[in-house]
Amino acid sequence: MAAMETTNGSREKSDWTDLNAPCVSTEVEKMDLDKADENVNWLKAHFDPVAGVYSFSSCIALADLNGDGDHKLVIADLGTGKYNMMIKVLKGTSVVQENTLLDLPTGVVSVYMDMTEPRTPGLVVASGSGLFVYKNMRPYYKYNVEALTVLPEEQQLWDQSKVGNVDVATLADALNSLKNEYSSSMLTSQTSHFLKLSSQEEAKQFVEDYKNVPLKRETVITCITTMKKSMAEDDAISCIVLGLENKEIHIVDCEAYTVLHKFTVHGVPVIINVSGLFDVDFRMFVACRNGCVYTLKKDSDNARVCLDLNSQVVGMERIHKCLVVAMMDRTFTSFTTKGRQLWSLEMPADILCTTIMDHKAKGFKAVMVGLSNNEVHIYRDKNLVDTVKLNDRPQALCFGRYGREDSTLVAVLASGALQVLILKRTAEYADHSLHRGPPSSQYMKLNIPKKTQLFVDQTVRERENGIEMFQNFQNDLQMMRVNVAEMYLKGLQSSMTPLSDDPNVPLKLSATVQGIGPMFQLILTIENTALPSPSDAKLLTDLKVVFKYLDKVYTVSPGVLSLPALVPDIPYKFSIQVECIASDQPAQDTITAFIVKPDNTKPVVTANISMPASEGVVVV
Amino acid sequence: MSTHSETTSSGAGEVKAESESEHYQPPTLSVAAGPKRKIKARKAAKLPSIERRNWLIHSHFIRKEFDGCKSLIQEQLVETNGQCEYAIYIQALMLRSDGEIQQSLELFQACHQINPKNPDNMKQIAKNLILLGKHKSAIECYNHATDLGERDWEICHCLGVCYQFLKQLDQAEQCFLEALSKGKHTVTYSVLAKLYLEQQETKKAIDILQKGVDFAPENTDLLTSLGLLHLRNESFHRAFELLGQALTYDPENYKAILAAGSLMQKHGDFDVALTKYRVAAQRVPESSSLWNNIAMCFFGKKKNVAAISCLKRANYLSPFDWRILYNLSLLHLTMQQYASAFQFASTAIGLKSDHGPLYMLLAVGLANLGQDDNAEQAYLKAMELNSNDPHTLINYCVFLHNRGNSQKAANILGNFHKLSDDKSVSVEKELFEISKRLSAVLNVGEKIVVEKEKVEKHRKKKATKKTESVSSLAEMEQQNHIEEQAAPSGNLKPKKLAPLGTLSSVSSPSTLPPLRSPMGPLNPSDLLSQMPAVPEHDPERRSTKHKQPVAE
Repeated sequence: MAAMETTNGSREKSDWTDLNAPCVSTEVEKMDLDKADENVNWLKAHFDPVAGVYSFSSCIALADLNGDGDHKLVIADLGTGKYNMMIKVLKGTSVVQENTLLDLPTGVVSVYMDMTEPRTPGLVVASGSGLFVYKNMRPYYKYNVEALTVLPEEQQLWDQSKVGNVDVATLADALNSLKNEYSSSMLTSQTSHFLKLSSQEEAKQFVEDYKNVPLKRETVITCITTMKKSMAEDDAISCIVLGLENKEIHIVDCEAYTVLHKFTVHGVPVIINVSGLFDVDFRMFVACRNGCVYTLKKDSDNARVCLDLNSQVVGMERIHKCLVVAMMDRTFTSFTTKGRQLWSLEMPADILCTTIMDHKAKGFKAVMVGLSNNEVHIYRDKNLVDTVKLNDRPQALCFGRYGREDSTLVAVLASGALQVLILKRTAEYADHSLHRGPPSSQYMKLNIPKKTQLFVDQTVRERENGIEMFQNFQNDLQMMRVNVAEMYLKGLQSSMTPLSDDPNVPLKLSATVQGIGPMFQLILTIENTALPSPSDAKLLTDLKVVFKYLDKVYTVSPGVLSLPALVPDIPYKFSIQVECIASDQPAQDTITAFIVKPDNTKPVVTANISMPASEGVVVV
Repeated sequence: MSTHSETTSSGAGEVKAESESEHYQPPTLSVAAGPKRKIKARKAAKLPSIERRNWLIHSHFIRKEFDGCKSLIQEQLVETNGQCEYAIYIQALMLRSDGEIQQSLELFQACHQINPKNPDNMKQIAKNLILLGKHKSAIECYNHATDLGERDWEICHCLGVCYQFLKQLDQAEQCFLEALSKGKHTVTYSVLAKLYLEQQETKKAIDILQKGVDFAPENTDLLTSLGLLHLRNESFHRAFELLGQALTYDPENYKAILAAGSLMQKHGDFDVALTKYRVAAQRVPESSSLWNNIAMCFFGKKKNVAAISCLKRANYLSPFDWRILYNLSLLHLTMQQYASAFQFASTAIGLKSDHGPLYMLLAVGLANLGQDDNAEQAYLKAMELNSNDPHTLINYCVFLHNRGNSQKAANILGNFHKLSDDKSVSVEKELFEISKRLSAVLNVGEKIVVEKEKVEKHRKKKATKKTESVSSLAEMEQQNHIEEQAAPSGNLKPKKLAPLGTLSSVSSPSTLPPLRSPMGPLNPSDLLSQMPAVPEHDPERRSTKHKQPVAE
């Protein structure tokens, strides 16, 4: 995250124009001109690469804060994610006001709270478990979401510890068992912080410190939106709809700050989409972290599953009677409000954010989808009508009236930059898609190897001498087969293989040589490969191993190895000492090991062991 | 600039001056590390909730900003002493998407320990177990999850997948049907269809896919699968409709392109098919099926050399596909490279020993290599495997006739006529023409030799006028005769049918799909002529291959 830079100098460089004349006074703008062709329908109004904003779509709002028709841009900035949380109000290209926030802002909305003239909306910032209300950009009210009930056992424990009836260790034990019984999210943060403490002393201090603090279990606001109360006008009084971490939805009255209605859904809400009026009839779509979208209606308290998606919802917008859902798996799908899928598109890159483009003058609604390839795709229904190229990955998007310009796109980029674009009045977004027709790859030539002279020659030769070629080939093939068969037969007859073909003496023999010489260690591994059957365990007995070698080159000890009874399936290892005695030349020869049975002249198994070249004897 | 804390105290009564001068404390410092004296002197700091940053973790996670997400989770876990269930949950999800299944499983188990009542944790544990191949344990976990929460679509679907892996197909089917009753998901439709195909219940598979298409009319996977099934059932019109639909929604869907292309080839639209294949060639340049189809398009367009190079590429890409070898053999026969044709046919037989027309190709090759006895045996084998293939019949008939065995040739021709009277078997025009000429020749009996010479001369004249004129039995016969003379029988190896020898030693791999219906391979006598129907078989063959992915 780019560091916060609030120097005014950088901001004043680029001018804000509230008419549709692009400003090209800064170097950045000039650089962008090269790319300008890509965004034919948009004018670059403002680009501040060092704005240092860290925000989400829910934390941006465009509102007429002073009631003078000049819409301001409100950004709830998450700062570094830990510090410097701020709410910023921008007019044109400059920040006109900044207010520090105590906790991370979750969302910001503007609502009309009363009927006073001139009509100025209040600004509501959701942060932690509270709503901070500003009017005329001055702090006005703080509303805390109703605290949840504390477990009676927990309350009792703390009460007793206050009086001093329970010592710290017992308290910790009791709370721990509570935690295991319920989950830690059911306990107060006081308890969980207490349980985190490691030393007795700290714990005592903690109990002392929090003696007089009432035990509270607070939840967290996860999303915020508004709903008109009884009239549909733009400046009618609204109420606030909150999604909470404890899976509840609260509708809060903006005049009295009381909860008008509560709903419970089966997941933690992420996005809420509301239509209708609170007093008349309304319907809410709540996208939750469990990948479901629930429908809530005025007259029923039950949340009905509208969509059960296979992926997490990144953005959800409603256009007339359709719900358009952008998902984590790159799909962008439209559903009816009953949950029936209408169409689905796959985006070329990951979806980062969405916003609705409500073009009142031209009377259409489109959805803008911010993608990780720095583009914003604009869809009318399922048709891609425009693509806006940004300078970086869009982190948050907001479309609406800014200043005096009706169709403005505000984008906060991943680098912290702020980019503002204005839709040209000449821009036409037709009903049909820009790109139709076959994909471009249809016009690419197939990669087929050309015919070579060699190929032609070979073909001609085969045509002319086909029969001879065939006959020679068959002849050679048969000769080879005969040779192979002969060799194989020879091998079988003389038991030259390391595998026994005698069903009565199933054996496997393998050997490894260790050492560099002149002393070697020859390790023979002998295995009885008979299938071990419980009834008839075939033991192999009376076997001996003898070696054949040149006695001028090697001595082998022991020369004859009597094998013990071999149990099936267990490899037996035997170590044999081999010494290379040929000192004059670097000796390298083969030792042949035979496994023999008494009364049989033929070996059962034979292994040829190629000995490595021996090092010469070191004469001291 | 006014700070919030100053003004909230004046604005709202309930906000106490909790942090008048004490700026917002970073949560990690708030209790444990914070200077205690200061806290004691003033007020106890407000304790942040464990779940306070869950939403932030979530919003980074859904954008796949995993790096930022990971550091955020680390901070959160330090702050909460590892008690933040959601942070661990997301970390485990990210590990899974990175392929670290085992680590991810351990984290989900940690989540389960923190909150043993959350069915989601159990489901994720089960999902990881599936990925690790421990299906039985996964089933146990899902049952446990059912006890914790409700039995929803996900549980039913995944249980079905587990049972499918455990080969308890009936239970799997039940689970999938239950899943569909709980929630309609395209995945369930396609796995259920696959399950039915595994059980050879094509009808049920088509029904379920049809339901899936009704539910999600723009899902290209379902459309393509259904189209392929219809293709397998030979309802070509419906298949083409569905595949076309799939292609309008996703013009780069290569499965649909291949299947639709094969149908176009069937109708002789080689150029259209080729343009479609070009798209697929960009998407999946390493698909042997694609190159096979492209080759057969070229073959249809008489570009034999291009066809051979494409087929060789296909063969390089999947050397064990006997259909490609079949086509290669066919092309080499066309090019009069009989030795090569023989090699390819015999390799193909090594891979697929029960396909009649392969033996016919072999026989044609052998006959042209002067191995008449072996050719005869190969023909007999071909007839034994598939006595209803018109190409085999005609070729055998021609062969017998050339050997002078007119009696038997007439018998075979009779079989052919019986076959062609049967409406259910489609026989190409070319075959009919040849059969007519054959019957004319065979009926004449003794005079044949004399007559034939006349015909030959006649044909030759014609042939010089039209460069590549109508197929001529006579030409074929003439060639055969010449070769018979050129290769005296003395040169032949005694009674050794080489291909059969190879056959016995090479076991055919079981991976190859069974051929749906006997694909009449090209009559080699026709190959010398213009034969529009040539590729017809190949696309079909293609399509059978293509159904394989569905069945998997």
